[in-house]
Order: sequence, then structure tokens, then C-alpha cells
Amino acid sequence: MTATVTEPRVRGYHLFDGGTGPHILVSEGSLVYAIPPEVRELFEDAAAARDETAASALLARFGLDVSVGLDEAPGEVPLRSISLAIAQTCNLSCTYCYAEQGDFGGAAKLMSEQVAHAAVERLVDDAAAGEQVTIAFLGGEPLANRRVLRSATEHAAARAVERGVRVGYSITTNGTLVTPDDAEFFARHGFAVTVSLDGVGAVHDRLRPARNGRPTYDRVLRRLEPLLSERRRTMNLSARVTVTPRNLCLPETLDEFISLGFDSVGFSPMLSSPTGADEMAGTDLTAMLEQMTACAERFEERVGSGVPYPFLNAVNALREIHRGTHRPYPCGAGAGYMGASADGELFACHRFVGDDERKMGDVLTGVDPARQLKWLDDRHVHRQQPCSGCWARYLCGGGCHHEVIGRGRPACDYIRGWLHHCLCMYARLREKRPEYLDMMARGR
Amino acid sequence: MEPIAPRNLTAQLAYRARGNPPGTTPASSVGNFYPGLELDLRNLWRRVFAGIELHEAVALVLAVDDDAPPEVQALVGEILLTVDGHPVWIEVTGPREPGGASESLGNWSLEWSNALADIVHKAGQEVRCTFTKGDDDQQDVSLRVRQIFEPGPEGGEDARTAVLSRELAQPGELTQSLCSPWQNDFIGCGCYYWAASRPDYVNVEFDEADGSRGHNWLQRDRTPATPKFYTLRQADLLQHADIIAGWEDKLSFVLKGRDDHDRDGD
Ligand code: SF4
Ligand code: SF4
Repeated sequence: MTATVTEPRVRGYHLFDGGTGPHILVSEGSLVYAIPPEVRELFEDAAAARDETAASALLARFGLDVSVGLDEAPGEVPLRSISLAIAQTCNLSCTYCYAEQGDFGGAAKLMSEQVAHAAVERLVDDAAAGEQVTIAFLGGEPLANRRVLRSATEHAAARAVERGVRVGYSITTNGTLVTPDDAEFFARHGFAVTVSLDGVGAVHDRLRPARNGRPTYDRVLRRLEPLLSERRRTMNLSARVTVTPRNLCLPETLDEFISLGFDSVGFSPMLSSPTGADEMAGTDLTAMLEQMTACAERFEERVGSGVPYPFLNAVNALREIHRGTHRPYPCGAGAGYMGASADGELFACHRFVGDDERKMGDVLTGVDPARQLKWLDDRHVHRQQPCSGCWARYLCGGGCHHEVIGRGRPACDYIRGWLHHCLCMYARLREKRPEYLDMMARGR
Repeated sequence: MEPIAPRNLTAQLAYRARGNPPGTTPASSVGNFYPGLELDLRNLWRRVFAGIELHEAVALVLAVDDDAPPEVQALVGEILLTVDGHPVWIEVTGPREPGGASESLGNWSLEWSNALADIVHKAGQEVRCTFTKGDDDQQDVSLRVRQIFEPGPEGGEDARTAVLSRELAQPGELTQSLCSPWQNDFIGCGCYYWAASRPDYVNVEFDEADGSRGHNWLQRDRTPATPKFYTLRQADLLQHADIIAGWEDKLSFVLKGRDDHDRDGD
């Protein structure tokens, strides 16, 4: 795959053909159509000439210019999801950690029960009966503050029953502190557990050593045994791999983790670390795209013949393409989602904890509407460059705010290359396994 | 040329049938059409049979073409009973009150978009229709079904369109006879769509023994002294012209279910 296949030419659409005939992705509304070859020629000519006027005229002529009303910032958004930096400390010292070994560059802190309960109340009490909210426990390493984690969960569960609100829980952990009793607790409350694992064996150990430098991979797998073996259907266990130039062996990693029994396995490139350590640069991202494509080929082969293969990036991309997800932001950060620090201050997301410029309020007084509106206005993809001219803008949303603010947008060719591959795969699976796509689009 | 085919869900949702302007999509419509605000569906059926003009609400032949044959000319003022073996009226049976015995509740007309769905496929053919003057006398007449949809320009899939045929309605006809909410003219409304601001049963009193008693909202005489009796007698009721020309004199605000209060008082 070369960058020229996916480089932005006109802002309104992208042409692709995965072997099942020409297709078009219309950016506004993320609409996917199969088109006749003679129509493709017209769209190709306008794109090759980078002629925006001709491109818009073609969309109008073929009735593909659907207005989806994405121009405005959404205004005040109610808080529906919160993460608690329940322990701003960690027992590992991962080289690239955004939280700088858990404490976000400050003093190690544990969230008090009082703050955790206030955060829970802020979230649950603001929701109406029947609504769904989610609480994510993050750190540092959240299990370093197990007592408060459990007490906050139980408080949320009781409060939610009282108010008729549904709560989902998740935790992102390094896995080293998980006990059998934790496994039981997570299963009881239906947690989505994400374990950070950066490769198999020594590959992982190089990136995620303990503070004393000792390896952690074997220890994590031992600790996860109760989660992998005894877990109930009510719990979901995924592995999240942060990709750096030192663990670019994705197909092997994916195969190994799926065979270990994880419900899903996902990769994300390390684009911005506090010290610059282990960040991915141009050629690394090209290599990563090749490996992600190889993973997607395995995925497509299995899924095409009805065998589950929970490669999270492919599943998510196909779901979004099939639904036609279109959004002017990459995520809910600073909108329906906020990250609470151990002190109970609210930030645009968990990675912005401690960054006063992205402070949004606190758990006692709630979100400051003026700061939220300004954030949403500033971060809208139409105000991002070069995003406003990019065909992928409503699927990508402009890239992780934290990474973009920290490092800019070094990964656009990677993002578009991956989307292009997923669009081609979508067109193939749309013919081969349409029922799979419909089933998946119904899931979360 | 093969068609442009919507593949994902948003593309399917955004699909516009050929010929329908955006204003006709369900998302941009209030969605009622009997008589409706954007389009009176009853007018679709007005010219469905060549030679006569019908009104769905009463299944009545309103007019005939001057050059129609004598047996068709004779149909003016008659009521349509069946089309191609399908009844457009049906006898409804059931209890008159909760818990009562099942009995005949009289003949009710069916909605034609259901009752006549079958003949949409018989465009150009003759079908047998039965008419009556209201007595036992019935006559069968064969009538040609007009095109409901315009055929597409090409053969194959594209030959089917959602464009209403020019034969079916003359310009302006589909938007005739709409409701007129600004003048409170909901008289034609077959579905009591307006009940929130203009309940159709007002000044209601309730007692355990006799149930409820009150006025039809259209009753000309609705004072506190008017006997509480719900009437459907046309002579007792306000008509379109009364409402359109003088709604502000003839209707009051409905407050707590009552509109028999003194309108000059406070
Ligand atoms: S960040 Fe995303 S939307 Fe913006 S230019 Fe890059 S790929 Fe396109
Ligand atoms: S800004 Fe980045 S890290 Fe924060 S929630 Fe969004 S995608 Fe995640």
C-alpha cells in the first residue's frame, strides 16, 4: 500500500475497490455506495484534478450530497462517562507512560473514598432513569487502591438501583496485582477488564518492566489465570497493546493473545510520550500499517469462514463503517466523558489529568459549561488542520486530542491507510457475510 | 448502467426514491394525511378508476366524465361497495360497552390504502366494481384501473418508481382539502390527531352509575345549561364554513376540559 492510494485529494469522498468493484465513501454521513465503473471515472477525474467544485457537483448530480448537520459544536453535553484516576501511582515503570509512571509527574496520590463517592454521585445523579452511564477505573495502576475501587463500585451499584440508572464498569490494569478475589468482584459487577500487554514474553518485558527492573510478563499471565479460566459470561477481558518501534510483531502477538482466551485484542500506536521515548515515527508507522493489514487479512479469512477472531481494531472499524458512524470528534473527551484526578478535579480525559489548561471543573461543582463549550468549539474537526480537507475526517475525528496537542498529526497516512484497507474489507464482507455485519452493528 | 447501490446503513437511510422531493420523506413530514397537513391521501384515490371521481371518506361517486358510457354516467351519487371482489366496507361486530355481548356495530369503511392495495398491480386492467344507491339495489360495472406510479424510463429494476402517476391526480389536487389547524378546522380529521389542544369531548361530568356525559366539541350550543348529550347530528354541529370564518367566536379555550365558560368574563 502506498500513501498515494489514500492521500486526501478532495474533501467530499474517497474511492476504493477491494476486488468487488468500485465503491465510494462519501465523507458527510460516512455513506458507502457501490458505483458503476463509468461513474467512478467521473469521480476519479475530479479527484485527480483536485477540483472541489467538480467534486461537489458530482455528489449533487448523483444524489449523494446528504446533509447530516455536523457543522455546529454540540453545545453543553451531559456527563455520561467518567474515569477515576483512583491511584496516581504505579508499580511498573513503562518507558512511554503518559502518566509518567502513574503520578503524572507529581506526587503519588490515592483517591480518597470521599472523592470517589462524590464522583460517582455526580455521574449517577445527573442521569435520568433508564439511561446508561459508565465508570472507568484508571491510574496509575487502579488496583493499588483496591479498597476505594471496590467501595466506589458498590456505591455506584446501590445508587444506580435507587435511581433506575444502568452502570457499566471498566478497568485498565497492568495485571500484576489481580487476585482471584478481584476476578470474582469484576465478574459480579460485569466489568470490562482491559490489560495492558505489549507483546509476548521478552518483548513485553522490555517495555513494561517493574520499578525494580524485573520482568512482568509471566507474572501478569499467572495473575490473569482466574480471569481467563473462571470468569463468568458477564465479564469481558481484553488485551491492549501499545505499539512502539520495539514491539512491531503484531500478527504473532494477536494470534498468541487470542489463543490465550482474551475476548478482544487491540493495538494503538504510541504517538506521544512525555519524554519522547518509544514514539512511532514515519517508517515505524509504515511498518505498523503493513502488520495491521496482515492482521486484518487473518481476521477476514477467519470471519469470512465463520470463525470468530476478535481483532478489536478490525471489529470496531467494520462496525463504524457499516453503521456509517460520522462524528466531528475522535472521542467523547471533554464532551460526555471526563477524567477525574485523585483530588476530584475533572479534566478533558484521563490523559489530561493535572493539565490545568484542560481542566473542566470538579466532581463537587460539576462541569464548567464555559470551559466545555470552548473546548468543544476549539476541538471540532472542522477547525483542525489539515483535517477539514481530509476525506477521513468523520471516521477519524481528527486524532486523539492528547496526542495531537502533544505531537501534532504524524500518523495521518497510517490512519487513512488503515481505514482504506477496512473499507475494502467491508465491501468484500458485505457480499460474503452480510449477516455478520448486521449482527456486529447491533453490538456496542 | 448498473445503479448506484447504497451499501452501509447510513447510505440506505439516505436513499431517495426517484421523483420524491426531500419534503416527502418521513423525517420532514408531520406524517398525518387523513386529511393531513402536507398531502391528503384520500385524494390519491379520487381518479383511480377511469371515468369516475370518488371520495374515500364516504366511498361516494362525486362526478363522472361527460364522455363516459351510460352505465357509468348513472353512478353519480352511488356508493362503492366492492372492487375486484375486495369489500371496501365491512361489518364490525363486538361489545358496545366493556364486558357487553358481541353485536353488530354497523358497516364501517376500510382505509383504501389497505383495501385497494391489490389493485395497484392491476393498472391498465378492467376490474369489476359494485355500487349501490343505498338501497338493496346493486350494480356491477367494469372500470379500468389507472396507473398509480409512473413507469421508469428504462426496463428492468429501474422500471419501478415511487413517482405518482400524472393520470392519478391533477396539479394541486393532492394538497386540496387539508386540515387547517390555524383556524381549528379539524373537522375532517379521521384520527382525532388534535385532541391535545382541542379535545373532542368537552364539559364532561362523570358519575359512578351512568358513566360520563358531555358535549361534542363541535356542538353549536355548549353552555352550562345545554343538556349534556354527545351528539353526532350534523344539524347540531358546526361546519367547515362556521369554523373557518368564525372560529374565534364559536370556540373557546379549553380549560381543565371545559369550554362552556363565559368568554367575556375573566
Ligand atoms: S487526523 Fe484524521 S482527519 Fe485529520 S488529517 Fe489526519 S487522518 Fe485526516
Ligand atoms: S483525547 Fe485521546 S486519550 Fe483522551 S479519550 Fe480521547 S482518544 Fe482517548
